[in-house]
Amino acid sequence: MQTEATLAQADVSDLDLVTRCQAGDTEAFDELVTRYRTRVFGMIYNMVHSEQDAWDLAQDSFLKAWKSIKRFRGRSSFYTWIYRIVMNVTIDWLRKKQIKGGGSEFDDSIQLKHIEPASKTVPKSEALPHETIERSEIRARIDKAISQLSPEQRAVILMKEIEEMQYHEIAEALGCSIGTVMSRLFYARKKLQNLLRDVYENI
Amino acid sequence: MKTFEERWTAWLDGQLSGRELSEFEASLPDKAAAESEKAEVRKIGALLKRELGAPALTNEEFFSHQLRERIRESSVRSTKRVAKASTWWTIPRLLWTGTASLAVFLVFTIFVIRDKNPAEESQYLTQILNARVDPVVSPNATVSMFEVKQDRVTVLWTEGLQSLPADYAAK
Repeated sequence: MQTEATLAQADVSDLDLVTRCQAGDTEAFDELVTRYRTRVFGMIYNMVHSEQDAWDLAQDSFLKAWKSIKRFRGRSSFYTWIYRIVMNVTIDWLRKKQIKGGGSEFDDSIQLKHIEPASKTVPKSEALPHETIERSEIRARIDKAISQLSPEQRAVILMKEIEEMQYHEIAEALGCSIGTVMSRLFYARKKLQNLLRDVYENI
Repeated sequence: MKTFEERWTAWLDGQLSGRELSEFEASLPDKAAAESEKAEVRKIGALLKRELGAPALTNEEFFSHQLRERIRESSVRSTKRVAKASTWWTIPRLLWTGTASLAVFLVFTIFVIRDKNPAEESQYLTQILNARVDPVVSPNATVSMFEVKQDRVTVLWTEGLQSLPADYAAK
Protein backbone atom coordinates (compact mmCIF):
# COMPACT_ATOMS: atom_id res chain seq x y z
CA MET A 1 0.00 0.00 0.00
CA GLN A 2 1.31 3.42 -0.92
CA THR A 3 1.74 5.99 1.78
CA GLU A 4 0.88 9.64 1.35
CA ALA A 5 4.55 10.43 1.04
CA THR A 6 5.12 8.02 -1.82
CA LEU A 7 2.01 9.25 -3.59
CA ALA A 8 3.22 12.82 -3.25
CA GLN A 9 6.65 11.80 -4.52
CA ALA A 10 5.15 10.09 -7.55
CA ASP A 11 3.35 13.34 -8.40
CA VAL A 12 6.61 15.25 -8.55
CA SER A 13 7.87 15.37 -12.11
CA ASP A 14 11.43 14.56 -13.10
CA LEU A 15 11.87 18.16 -14.13
CA ASP A 16 10.84 19.46 -10.69
CA LEU A 17 13.31 17.08 -9.09
CA VAL A 18 16.03 18.19 -11.50
CA THR A 19 15.36 21.84 -10.60
CA ARG A 20 15.77 20.97 -6.91
CA CYS A 21 18.94 19.01 -7.70
CA GLN A 22 20.33 22.04 -9.49
CA ALA A 23 19.86 23.97 -6.26
CA GLY A 24 21.95 21.31 -4.47
CA ASP A 25 19.14 19.15 -3.07
CA THR A 26 20.62 15.66 -2.75
CA GLU A 27 17.31 14.19 -1.58
CA ALA A 28 15.73 15.14 -4.91
CA PHE A 29 18.58 13.39 -6.68
CA ASP A 30 18.07 10.37 -4.46
CA GLU A 31 14.48 10.22 -5.70
CA LEU A 32 15.62 10.34 -9.33
CA VAL A 33 18.09 7.55 -8.63
CA THR A 34 15.32 5.47 -7.09
CA ARG A 35 13.17 6.00 -10.17
CA TYR A 36 15.83 4.99 -12.70
CA ARG A 37 18.37 2.76 -10.93
CA THR A 38 16.77 -0.54 -11.97
CA ARG A 39 16.42 0.44 -15.63
CA VAL A 40 19.90 1.91 -15.75
CA PHE A 41 21.40 -1.14 -14.08
CA GLY A 42 19.48 -3.49 -16.41
CA MET A 43 20.54 -1.59 -19.49
CA ILE A 44 24.20 -1.63 -18.47
CA TYR A 45 24.03 -5.27 -17.43
CA ASN A 46 22.77 -6.24 -20.89
CA MET A 47 25.69 -4.32 -22.39
CA VAL A 48 28.48 -5.68 -20.19
CA HIS A 49 27.11 -9.04 -18.99
CA SER A 50 28.59 -8.72 -15.52
CA GLU A 51 26.62 -7.80 -12.42
CA GLN A 52 29.59 -6.26 -10.61
CA ASP A 53 30.68 -4.18 -13.59
CA ALA A 54 27.07 -3.10 -14.21
CA TRP A 55 26.79 -2.00 -10.57
CA ASP A 56 30.01 0.03 -10.77
CA LEU A 57 29.13 1.59 -14.11
CA ALA A 58 25.63 2.49 -12.88
CA GLN A 59 27.23 4.15 -9.85
CA ASP A 60 29.67 6.05 -12.06
CA SER A 61 26.86 7.13 -14.37
CA PHE A 62 24.72 8.52 -11.55
CA LEU A 63 27.71 10.23 -9.98
CA LYS A 64 28.53 11.85 -13.31
CA ALA A 65 24.89 12.87 -13.67
CA TRP A 66 24.97 14.55 -10.25
CA LYS A 67 28.15 16.43 -11.13
CA SER A 68 26.73 17.72 -14.40
CA ILE A 69 23.10 18.19 -13.39
CA LYS A 70 23.53 21.98 -13.48
CA ARG A 71 24.17 21.74 -17.20
CA PHE A 72 20.85 19.97 -17.84
CA ARG A 73 18.71 22.48 -19.71
CA GLY A 74 15.53 20.42 -20.01
CA ARG A 75 15.65 20.27 -23.80
CA SER A 76 15.14 16.50 -23.55
CA SER A 77 13.61 14.34 -20.85
CA PHE A 78 15.74 13.50 -17.83
CA TYR A 79 15.39 9.86 -18.84
CA THR A 80 17.01 10.52 -22.25
CA TRP A 81 19.66 12.70 -20.65
CA ILE A 82 20.67 10.08 -18.07
CA TYR A 83 20.73 7.44 -20.82
CA ARG A 84 23.20 9.57 -22.73
CA ILE A 85 25.50 9.60 -19.72
CA VAL A 86 24.99 5.87 -19.15
CA MET A 87 25.82 5.11 -22.78
CA ASN A 88 28.93 7.31 -22.78
CA VAL A 89 30.23 5.71 -19.60
CA THR A 90 29.46 2.17 -20.74
CA ILE A 91 30.70 2.50 -24.30
CA ASP A 92 33.93 4.11 -23.06
CA TRP A 93 34.38 1.27 -20.60
CA LEU A 94 33.77 -1.36 -23.28
CA ARG A 95 36.24 0.33 -25.63
CA LYS A 96 38.91 0.54 -22.91
CA LYS A 97 38.31 -3.08 -21.96
CA GLN A 98 38.73 -4.08 -25.57
CA ILE A 99 41.99 -2.11 -25.89
CA LYS A 100 43.34 -3.61 -22.65
CA GLY A 101 42.34 -7.10 -23.71
CA GLY A 102 44.04 -6.58 -27.03
CA GLY A 103 41.46 -8.73 -28.74
CA SER A 104 38.27 -7.98 -30.54
CA GLU A 105 35.32 -9.10 -28.49
CA PHE A 106 32.89 -7.64 -30.95
CA ASP A 107 33.15 -7.96 -34.67
CA ASP A 108 32.78 -4.82 -36.72
CA SER A 109 33.99 -6.48 -39.87
CA ILE A 110 30.53 -7.54 -40.97
CA GLN A 111 29.45 -4.58 -43.02
CA LEU A 112 27.32 -3.97 -46.08
CA LYS A 113 29.77 -5.71 -48.40
CA HIS A 114 29.32 -8.89 -46.38
CA ILE A 115 25.56 -8.70 -46.10
CA GLU A 116 23.23 -8.50 -49.02
CA PRO A 117 20.38 -6.18 -48.13
CA ALA A 118 17.20 -8.13 -47.52
CA SER A 119 19.10 -11.37 -47.84
CA LYS A 120 18.27 -14.47 -45.85
CA THR A 121 21.06 -15.31 -43.50
CA VAL A 122 22.42 -18.78 -42.80
CA PRO A 123 23.14 -19.87 -39.23
CA LYS A 124 26.81 -20.35 -38.45
CA SER A 125 26.44 -22.47 -35.38
CA GLU A 126 24.89 -25.86 -35.10
CA ALA A 127 21.18 -25.90 -34.45
CA LEU A 128 20.15 -27.26 -31.12
CA PRO A 129 16.93 -29.19 -30.80
CA HIS A 130 14.17 -27.22 -29.14
CA GLU A 131 13.85 -29.72 -26.29
CA THR A 132 17.47 -29.46 -25.22
CA ILE A 133 17.76 -25.73 -25.13
CA GLU A 134 17.57 -24.66 -21.56
CA ARG A 135 16.72 -21.14 -20.57
CA SER A 136 20.21 -20.48 -19.29
CA GLU A 137 21.70 -21.70 -22.51
CA ILE A 138 19.46 -19.39 -24.48
CA ARG A 139 20.55 -16.52 -22.30
CA ALA A 140 24.20 -17.48 -22.77
CA ARG A 141 23.72 -17.61 -26.54
CA ILE A 142 22.07 -14.21 -26.58
CA ASP A 143 24.79 -12.71 -24.37
CA LYS A 144 27.45 -14.15 -26.64
CA ALA A 145 25.71 -12.83 -29.75
CA ILE A 146 25.32 -9.37 -28.22
CA SER A 147 28.96 -9.36 -27.15
CA GLN A 148 29.88 -9.71 -30.81
CA LEU A 149 28.17 -6.43 -31.65
CA SER A 150 30.06 -3.17 -31.40
CA PRO A 151 29.23 -1.11 -28.27
CA GLU A 152 27.19 1.32 -30.38
CA GLN A 153 25.23 -1.50 -32.03
CA ARG A 154 24.59 -3.07 -28.64
CA ALA A 155 23.29 0.24 -27.36
CA VAL A 156 20.84 0.79 -30.23
CA ILE A 157 19.45 -2.74 -30.27
CA LEU A 158 18.91 -2.75 -26.52
CA MET A 159 17.35 0.69 -26.45
CA LYS A 160 15.05 -0.22 -29.34
CA GLU A 161 14.04 -3.73 -28.39
CA ILE A 162 14.21 -3.69 -24.60
CA GLU A 163 13.58 -0.07 -23.70
CA GLU A 164 11.25 0.46 -26.67
CA MET A 165 12.72 3.89 -27.26
CA GLN A 166 11.93 5.87 -30.41
CA TYR A 167 14.61 6.55 -33.01
CA HIS A 168 14.91 10.21 -32.00
CA GLU A 169 15.27 9.29 -28.32
CA ILE A 170 18.02 6.82 -29.12
CA ALA A 171 19.71 9.42 -31.32
CA GLU A 172 19.60 11.94 -28.47
CA ALA A 173 20.89 9.40 -25.97
CA LEU A 174 23.79 8.46 -28.21
CA GLY A 175 24.45 11.93 -29.59
CA CYS A 176 24.12 10.87 -33.21
CA SER A 177 21.68 11.28 -36.08
CA ILE A 178 18.49 9.29 -36.57
CA GLY A 179 19.98 7.94 -39.80
CA THR A 180 22.96 6.58 -37.87
CA VAL A 181 20.64 4.93 -35.37
CA MET A 182 18.70 3.24 -38.19
CA SER A 183 21.87 2.14 -39.91
CA ARG A 184 23.28 0.66 -36.68
CA LEU A 185 20.00 -1.13 -36.07
CA PHE A 186 20.16 -2.59 -39.56
CA TYR A 187 23.62 -4.12 -39.00
CA ALA A 188 22.89 -5.19 -35.44
CA ARG A 189 19.77 -7.06 -36.55
CA LYS A 190 21.58 -8.69 -39.44
CA LYS A 191 24.30 -9.95 -37.11
CA LEU A 192 21.80 -11.21 -34.56
CA GLN A 193 19.83 -12.97 -37.29
CA ASN A 194 23.03 -14.62 -38.33
CA LEU A 195 24.04 -15.63 -34.83
CA LEU A 196 20.70 -16.52 -33.26
CA ARG A 197 18.69 -18.05 -36.07
CA ASP A 198 18.73 -21.53 -34.57
CA VAL A 199 17.65 -20.14 -31.22
CA TYR A 200 14.64 -18.14 -32.34
CA GLU A 201 13.56 -20.68 -34.92
CA ASN A 202 13.45 -23.49 -32.38
CA ILE A 203 11.46 -21.71 -29.75
CA MET B 1 17.79 11.01 -49.21
CA LYS B 2 17.55 7.96 -47.00
CA THR B 3 19.88 5.03 -47.56
CA PHE B 4 18.58 1.52 -48.14
CA GLU B 5 19.49 0.55 -44.56
CA GLU B 6 17.49 3.44 -43.16
CA ARG B 7 14.41 2.69 -45.27
CA TRP B 8 14.68 -1.04 -44.57
CA THR B 9 14.88 -0.44 -40.81
CA ALA B 10 11.99 2.01 -40.93
CA TRP B 11 9.95 -0.53 -42.92
CA LEU B 12 10.72 -3.32 -40.43
CA ASP B 13 9.64 -1.10 -37.56
CA GLY B 14 6.49 0.04 -39.33
CA GLN B 15 7.74 3.60 -39.60
CA LEU B 16 7.07 4.03 -43.33
CA SER B 17 3.74 5.26 -44.54
CA GLY B 18 1.94 6.63 -47.61
CA ARG B 19 3.95 7.14 -50.74
CA GLU B 20 7.26 6.29 -49.06
CA LEU B 21 5.89 2.88 -48.02
CA SER B 22 4.42 2.02 -51.42
CA GLU B 23 7.58 3.13 -53.21
CA PHE B 24 9.79 1.08 -50.90
CA GLU B 25 7.67 -2.04 -51.16
CA ALA B 26 7.59 -1.69 -54.94
CA SER B 27 11.40 -1.55 -54.96
CA LEU B 28 11.76 -4.87 -53.12
CA PRO B 29 12.82 -7.67 -55.47
CA ASP B 30 11.14 -10.37 -53.38
CA LYS B 31 8.32 -9.09 -51.21
CA ALA B 32 7.63 -12.52 -49.67
CA ALA B 33 11.27 -12.91 -48.56
CA ALA B 34 11.25 -9.42 -47.13
CA GLU B 35 8.05 -10.14 -45.18
CA SER B 36 9.63 -13.32 -43.88
CA GLU B 37 12.66 -11.36 -42.71
CA LYS B 38 10.41 -8.83 -41.06
CA ALA B 39 8.83 -11.67 -39.11
CA GLU B 40 12.29 -12.90 -38.09
CA VAL B 41 13.30 -9.49 -36.85
CA ARG B 42 10.14 -9.38 -34.76
CA LYS B 43 11.01 -12.81 -33.34
CA ILE B 44 14.47 -11.53 -32.40
CA GLY B 45 12.93 -8.50 -30.73
CA ALA B 46 10.54 -10.68 -28.76
CA LEU B 47 13.34 -13.07 -27.82
CA LEU B 48 15.54 -10.26 -26.57
CA LYS B 49 12.70 -8.70 -24.64
CA ARG B 50 11.80 -11.99 -23.01
CA GLU B 51 15.32 -13.05 -22.16
CA LEU B 52 16.99 -9.76 -21.45
CA GLY B 53 14.29 -8.15 -19.37
CA ALA B 54 15.99 -5.95 -16.81
CA PRO B 55 17.67 -8.17 -14.22
CA ALA B 56 16.78 -7.30 -10.68
CA LEU B 57 19.09 -4.87 -8.97
CA THR B 58 19.73 -6.68 -5.74
CA ASN B 59 20.13 -4.56 -2.65
CA GLU B 60 18.71 -1.39 -4.17
CA GLU B 61 18.93 0.53 -0.91
CA PHE B 62 22.62 -0.22 -0.60
CA PHE B 63 23.08 1.01 -4.15
CA SER B 64 21.54 4.36 -3.22
CA HIS B 65 23.45 4.50 0.06
CA GLN B 66 26.75 3.88 -1.69
CA LEU B 67 25.93 6.54 -4.25
CA ARG B 68 25.05 9.08 -1.53
CA GLU B 69 28.41 8.39 0.11
CA ARG B 70 30.26 8.87 -3.18
CA ILE B 71 28.43 12.14 -3.83
CA ARG B 72 29.30 13.35 -0.32
CA GLU B 73 32.97 12.40 -0.76
CA SER B 74 33.15 14.06 -4.15
CA SER B 75 31.58 17.25 -2.73
CA VAL B 76 34.16 17.31 0.07
CA ARG B 77 36.96 16.75 -2.43
CA SER B 78 35.75 19.52 -4.73
CA THR B 79 35.39 21.93 -1.78
CA LYS B 80 38.98 21.16 -0.77
CA ARG B 81 40.11 21.66 -4.35
CA VAL B 82 38.44 25.07 -4.51
CA ALA B 83 40.02 26.09 -1.19
CA LYS B 84 43.41 24.87 -2.35
CA ALA B 85 43.09 26.67 -5.65
CA SER B 86 42.33 29.98 -3.93
CA THR B 87 45.54 29.84 -1.83
CA TRP B 88 47.79 29.13 -4.76
CA TRP B 89 48.62 31.57 -7.48
CA THR B 90 47.00 30.59 -10.68
CA ILE B 91 48.83 30.89 -14.00
CA PRO B 92 46.79 33.92 -15.19
CA ARG B 93 47.48 35.66 -11.91
CA LEU B 94 51.19 34.97 -12.26
CA LEU B 95 51.16 36.32 -15.80
CA TRP B 96 49.38 39.51 -14.79
CA THR B 97 51.73 40.03 -11.87
CA GLY B 98 54.77 39.48 -14.06
CA THR B 99 53.53 41.95 -16.66
CA ALA B 100 52.71 44.57 -14.05
CA SER B 101 56.14 44.16 -12.42
CA LEU B 102 57.86 44.57 -15.78
CA ALA B 103 55.86 47.73 -16.51
CA VAL B 104 56.77 49.24 -13.13
CA PHE B 105 60.42 48.37 -13.71
CA LEU B 106 60.43 50.00 -17.15
CA VAL B 107 58.76 53.19 -15.88
CA PHE B 108 61.21 53.38 -12.98
CA THR B 109 64.22 52.82 -15.29
CA ILE B 110 63.10 55.54 -17.69
CA PHE B 111 62.77 58.06 -14.84
CA VAL B 112 66.18 57.18 -13.39
CA ILE B 113 67.95 57.55 -16.76
CA ARG B 114 66.25 60.85 -17.38
CA ASP B 115 67.33 62.10 -13.92
CA LYS B 116 70.94 61.20 -14.62
CA ASN B 117 71.06 63.59 -17.60
CA PRO B 118 69.18 66.56 -16.30
CA ALA B 119 68.40 69.22 -18.89
CA GLU B 120 69.70 71.85 -16.51
CA GLU B 121 73.25 70.48 -16.64
CA SER B 122 73.40 70.31 -20.40
CA GLN B 123 72.08 73.85 -20.64
CA TYR B 124 74.88 75.01 -18.33
CA LEU B 125 77.55 73.28 -20.42
CA THR B 126 76.18 74.79 -23.65
CA GLN B 127 76.25 78.18 -22.01
CA ILE B 128 79.97 77.80 -21.13
CA LEU B 129 80.94 76.53 -24.57
CA ASN B 130 79.12 79.35 -26.26
CA ALA B 131 80.73 81.98 -24.06
CA ARG B 132 83.67 83.83 -25.45
CA VAL B 133 86.35 85.71 -23.58
CA ASP B 134 86.41 89.39 -24.40
CA PRO B 135 89.95 90.12 -25.83
CA VAL B 136 89.70 93.81 -24.81
CA VAL B 137 88.99 93.09 -21.17
CA SER B 138 91.31 90.07 -20.83
CA PRO B 139 93.81 90.00 -23.68
CA ASN B 140 95.95 87.13 -22.23
CA ALA B 141 93.06 84.99 -21.19
CA THR B 142 92.87 81.39 -22.30
CA VAL B 143 90.02 79.01 -21.80
CA SER B 144 90.39 75.29 -22.22
CA MET B 145 88.04 72.44 -21.49
CA PHE B 146 88.67 68.78 -20.97
CA GLU B 147 86.66 65.81 -19.86
CA VAL B 148 87.67 63.09 -17.39
CA LYS B 149 85.65 60.19 -18.62
CA GLN B 150 86.20 57.76 -15.75
CA ASP B 151 84.96 60.36 -13.28
CA ARG B 152 82.31 61.59 -15.73
CA VAL B 153 83.46 65.18 -15.09
CA THR B 154 83.97 68.04 -17.55
CA VAL B 155 86.59 70.59 -16.39
CA LEU B 156 86.69 74.16 -17.64
CA TRP B 157 90.21 75.60 -17.18
CA THR B 158 90.56 79.38 -17.42
CA GLU B 159 93.76 81.54 -17.17
CA GLY B 160 94.42 85.26 -17.32
CA LEU B 161 90.87 86.35 -16.61
CA GLN B 162 90.50 89.71 -14.83
CA SER B 163 87.24 88.60 -13.48
CA LEU B 164 84.86 85.68 -14.02
CA PRO B 165 81.96 86.63 -16.27
CA ALA B 166 78.66 86.48 -14.48
CA ASP B 167 77.46 83.82 -16.92
CA TYR B 168 80.28 81.46 -15.79
CA ALA B 169 79.13 81.35 -12.22
CA ALA B 170 78.60 77.83 -11.13
CA LYS B 171 75.04 76.95 -10.54
